[in-house]
Amino acid sequence: MMTEMLDCDAVMRQLWDYLDGELTPDREEAVRAHLVVCNRCHPQHDFEQSFLRALSASRREHSRPDAIKARVLATLRADGFAA
Amino acid sequence: MPWNQEPLKRLIRKVIGASPDPRTPDERFRDEALPHLPAVTRFALSLTRDESDAEDLVQETYLKAFRAWDQFVPGSECRAWLFTICRNTHFRTSRREQRVVAHEDAELEALGAAALHTAAQADGLDDVFARTEVMEAVRAAVDALPDPFREVVVLVDLEEQSYEDAARILEIPKGTVRSRLFRGRRLLQERLIKHARDAGLGAGKTPEIMRKGTSNDD
Ligand SMILES: [Zn+2]
Repeated sequence: MMTEMLDCDAVMRQLWDYLDGELTPDREEAVRAHLVVCNRCHPQHDFEQSFLRALSASRREHSRPDAIKARVLATLRADGFAA
Repeated sequence: MPWNQEPLKRLIRKVIGASPDPRTPDERFRDEALPHLPAVTRFALSLTRDESDAEDLVQETYLKAFRAWDQFVPGSECRAWLFTICRNTHFRTSRREQRVVAHEDAELEALGAAALHTAAQADGLDDVFARTEVMEAVRAAVDALPDPFREVVVLVDLEEQSYEDAARILEIPKGTVRSRLFRGRRLLQERLIKHARDAGLGAGKTPEIMRKGTSNDD
């Protein structure tokens, strides 16, 4: 089967869908094939990927997870939770 | 002659009740809902931006989930179900209205991000999102996003929900998730690139940029 040919504009429009794993397998393959050979889109891909990594790393945990768990369990037990 | 539905009903019973769960409903709640506590807590924190408000929101979310446990469809995404309750509880409490501009074109946002990249490149900020100073600014930038954009960014980019699950949680079409997500990302990039420029991280300020032009242009 022939991989669909995409131009730079089409690839840039779908770059985030691609990075999010939201494209169909055929389309994903077509974008991947373009990125390998395109020195215009490839840096763009790396840039977006570093952005998404920084975003993902900004995830914040609560400072008192154990206290929250204890309080949730106490609240549930007071409401009849028995497990 | 009326259609005999009995064989179909038997089949459905057979499929659905194939292996009756030996656990009590409370035990299922313990096994399926409680493990998501850290994720629900993070989500609550991102909605409230305040630790003690988040703690209250988590309590309320789990109490509601426990009381509505018989409405949870076994086998569906429990985390997404809890996020839905958490979000609805939060927005009911704070009486926030979700107002979003009508114009939502996802692919224009994607192209906008490409233009931002070109501008960042010109400023020697190609690696802007790997800079420690910028990493530290990401959280504040997410917190500053308007709610409709912030919640999709948090669900998809921080909590790794699919567009589909985010759509279910937020009760909006999948296409709207996509366009808000892309807009949110572009707004974040704009803000962070501006932050980097204002902090003087651009071209000429860092020696590694000089290096880049000669040895690192793959
Ligand atoms: Zn290209």
